[in-house]
Amino acid sequence: MKKVLALVLALIMVLSVVACGSQSTETKPAETKTETKPAETKTETKTETKTEEKKDEPKADAAPLSLVQQVIKEAQGLTLEELAKKAIEESNGATFYGVGNSSRGKSALPKFIEYLQSLDANYTLNFEWQQPKNNKIFDQLTADSLKEKGTFAVTLIQDGNQIESKMVRTGILDTFVPLDWAKANGIAPEDWKGYLPLQTLNKVFEYNCTGEKTFTNCWDFVAEGEHGLFMDIDSEIVGKNFLYMLTADKYAGYLKDAFDKLDPAKQAALQPVIDELQEDAADLGLGENGAYGLAWIKLWVESYAAVEDDGPICNTLVQNSATDQFGLLVYSKLRSVEESDSVSKNNIKVAAYQDGYNGIGGYGYCHYMFVPDNSPLPWTACAFIAYITCTVDGFSAWGKDMGGYSSNPEVAKGTEEKYQHSKGGMNAAGEVEFECKNDRGYDWWVNNGQLVIEDPEYCANVAFTVGSWIEMLTKYKVK
Amino acid sequence: MQIAPPTRAMKRRIRRNKLKTFFSKPQNVILLLLGIVLTITTIAPIVAITQDTFAIHAGTIDENLTQRNPEKYPSYYPKGSNKGYSFANYIDLFTSRLAKKNLWRPLGNTLLLSTISCVVSILFGGFFAFLVTRTNLKFRKYLSSIFIFPYIMPQWTLAVVWKNLFYSNAVTHSADGLLASVFKITMPAWWCQGLFPSAMVLGLHYAPFAYILIGGIFRNMDANLEEAATILDTPRWKTMFRITLPMIKPAILSTVLLVFGSAMGSYPVPHYLNFETLSTKYISMNDKYSGEASILAIIMMVFGVAILLANQLTLKSRKSYTTVTGKSGQISRFNLGNAGKYVIGAIFIVITFFTSIYPIISFAFETFLPNPGDYSFLYTGNIANLTTKWWITAENVTENGMYGQFGMLYNKTIWHAYGGTMLVSVACALTAGTIGTLIGYAVSKNRRSKWANYVNNIAFLPYLMPSIAVGVAFFILFSNKYVNLFNTYWLLIIVGTVKYIPFASRASLNSMLQLSGEIEEAAIIQDIPWFKRMFRIIVPIQKSSIISGYMLPFMTCLRELSLFMLLCTQGYILSTTLDYFDEMGLYAFSSGINLILVITILVFNTVVNKLTGASLDEGIGG
Repeated sequence: MKKVLALVLALIMVLSVVACGSQSTETKPAETKTETKPAETKTETKTETKTEEKKDEPKADAAPLSLVQQVIKEAQGLTLEELAKKAIEESNGATFYGVGNSSRGKSALPKFIEYLQSLDANYTLNFEWQQPKNNKIFDQLTADSLKEKGTFAVTLIQDGNQIESKMVRTGILDTFVPLDWAKANGIAPEDWKGYLPLQTLNKVFEYNCTGEKTFTNCWDFVAEGEHGLFMDIDSEIVGKNFLYMLTADKYAGYLKDAFDKLDPAKQAALQPVIDELQEDAADLGLGENGAYGLAWIKLWVESYAAVEDDGPICNTLVQNSATDQFGLLVYSKLRSVEESDSVSKNNIKVAAYQDGYNGIGGYGYCHYMFVPDNSPLPWTACAFIAYITCTVDGFSAWGKDMGGYSSNPEVAKGTEEKYQHSKGGMNAAGEVEFECKNDRGYDWWVNNGQLVIEDPEYCANVAFTVGSWIEMLTKYKVK
Repeated sequence: MQIAPPTRAMKRRIRRNKLKTFFSKPQNVILLLLGIVLTITTIAPIVAITQDTFAIHAGTIDENLTQRNPEKYPSYYPKGSNKGYSFANYIDLFTSRLAKKNLWRPLGNTLLLSTISCVVSILFGGFFAFLVTRTNLKFRKYLSSIFIFPYIMPQWTLAVVWKNLFYSNAVTHSADGLLASVFKITMPAWWCQGLFPSAMVLGLHYAPFAYILIGGIFRNMDANLEEAATILDTPRWKTMFRITLPMIKPAILSTVLLVFGSAMGSYPVPHYLNFETLSTKYISMNDKYSGEASILAIIMMVFGVAILLANQLTLKSRKSYTTVTGKSGQISRFNLGNAGKYVIGAIFIVITFFTSIYPIISFAFETFLPNPGDYSFLYTGNIANLTTKWWITAENVTENGMYGQFGMLYNKTIWHAYGGTMLVSVACALTAGTIGTLIGYAVSKNRRSKWANYVNNIAFLPYLMPSIAVGVAFFILFSNKYVNLFNTYWLLIIVGTVKYIPFASRASLNSMLQLSGEIEEAAIIQDIPWFKRMFRIIVPIQKSSIISGYMLPFMTCLRELSLFMLLCTQGYILSTTLDYFDEMGLYAFSSGINLILVITILVFNTVVNKLTGASLDEGIGG
């Protein structure tokens, strides 16, 4: 038996080596970039995805456009209706596979099909929408990208950091910017820099108000003895991106301003931590207020109580028994809480809504839309993206609930008119019933609520500097 | 007279005849074919995952290190390929500042968890087996059937029950669990999260293994040895350590073999109870440290192989205990006393209530709570604090606090997943059961052959590899340019079959070894074809074990999560859907699915038991 096992193990090693050396040589030009440095790769990828830039400034060694990129280039000049006609031509009777971090793609697709049927009553489309967990969406898209013709027509994906480093720099996903969406934002499609966001979601600080405790400054959430409920940063990677963003000049500045507004006693308690981290901030190449960002991150990581999902956090905070507890969670979770003798939405206060609150009120991350570079139905994918980003009906799968803000100003306005989230906590008589459910909207959150917005490029650039620094911190364990 | 040396033609003919004779025996054909197939299905994923540990992945640490510091982390790109290879993952995992956090601590925790789970399951299951088989304990029949419930249920359901019972705002910063909200009792942190609850839950989950294996020996043990010791005035402790324990040593080792590997690969229990092991670390490292995560999977596999080797070694030294024949009809029962037999029985009724009955009641109750974890009804008695919405809501799912989901009776996702689970379970049971039975038959026929021994071991190896590692390996193997089976029932069936063949092969082998060769030989003499021999003689005689070989993969597959969680999305099968709802905090749905699963397993077990006389107890561990 030992001999057999020894033989098997030896065989494994030999086969591994053989397999290592016998990789396929059929590679796409866009994929041969892993040997370049990140900064250089980024430049190249941008050149590739911004097709019009390439047209204006042709380069001798520029990679030719893939079939999907050619479709995207053409599609960016078409209106939704024109795109819809192309989609009908391409996919009538076919099956459309989508993959995304949001399950609601599944609800949006029937509406999209209805829309296409309003143009051609004979049109049919089967669809399947997958929502992988545990970060598997990136593995799934990577594996699918190896095929000449992929399975997935479209993807709705979050986590700008991994999108940038694993999907865009590698040429797996292409950005399509709908003409109508660009117009609504006052630009031409080719002028848009970055990915196409479908919506921004916010995670906000909420606290249970059945006790006397209040939180008037974002530094209160990391004060000694506080343990906020938060999805573990290793479970949901956008949480890591939030922490990365706190080291960016803008948000580190927010933290510094909030710190300055603390009373002297609280400042004195925090100052040693900030001083201690000045050197690290310099080593990591952060700006002048970088140490404030690092200090908040350190205190947060070393104090938050990890929970598997935002749902349980919300269910905890709304209970009578969760006195003085707080958490950082997706705002929209409040929508499904039912009143009972021990549970109420009025047990919750949104920190940033309270008078006199200073500092960051939470963070925002985007759901981005992409077309895989080997999409089997690129026209239909573009039409679907245009439909959900440019119409209120198309966006309604997400827009019907609070806490998700369309990136299209016209759709955002139409959604608010239709669903009136700003009055979501009012009763029929127009009285405030649940204050926490009156969603103040994206603009308020960004300007007044100091929402920390994810920047994919920044996150990707600091993932192995600030990111590694964060990994060295010791997470909190209940004692 | 000199015999002429064989000519070349003669040699060829001899070889041909030898081959013909070899292939005329069905067991040889079975062993050859299955040996090749199983070698591929076991080795290929290992090769794929080994390769992944050397590969450079875009956007992860290996790419960063090889670009940033090419001297320390040299890389190799085969000509014309965009895929590079390096030792960066190994160097970084074993030597970086994060080595303790990413490798050594999770490894230590995993070993501790697996070891303590083994101890808990052996002590609890073994002691229970002793009470049931060797004492005059009351309520034996009831206790015996209820004791295996934790094994039937998905393992993390006990973890969820643990949380719902013991968590409190004061200690875990969550909402109060049942104990805190109703009785105002708060349990300490070590009781609520970490090693202790994880080991207890896994130990309780696997205790039925120990009960069935050790119980089997206790039941057949010759009591003469113990009686002889008593007559010779040997102290009780000495009798225990020198006679009783050595007799049940094989069963204890088998339990260790089964529990250690299973506990090591368990993801959901340590995940829910906040304990960092190699499995949970694998998932959390997968975004930035994909290659290093694959090394963790390899390490788990190495432990699986090591356990198998250790078991082989102990099998050899077991010769000295062959005086235990298992044929004696003398089974003496310890007298627990008139009161003792009732008191101890009652204690076990209470214990098994919490491990077996309470979870089911708790699941049922959860499906009527207005909000997940909202126990208002219990301390107000107000019926308005209960609801049937989680079952019967068929419209306006966004307006009724349903988190966008239809009630369970109308929820297509749940019933689609149920259909998927049944498909995968039935297919895995049929294929694994058939292959396992054939292996058992063929190995028993060629029991002295090295190749048969090899086939037997290679078929058993996947069982010892942690589920999550096997899942990872198959995901990598089948996610390539040519084959992409992610999120297909094909992949689940292949993986499930490979993983569950040992259930059937062990059950089949052990029973086939008891079967005298004469029975089949009589039929061979009469020139009865092999198929007829199998279906008219072998299968009817060994019906019970063979059916167990089909039932065990079926039941295990129904509630499997760790093996399948990386291979398909939620909504594909029930366990991933259950896990999804659990993580989302929609305990009404996850509890409802748990109920559906438990009821399905119990119904199948009862039906098969009534029809064939085979039951779960007979199959575990053969």
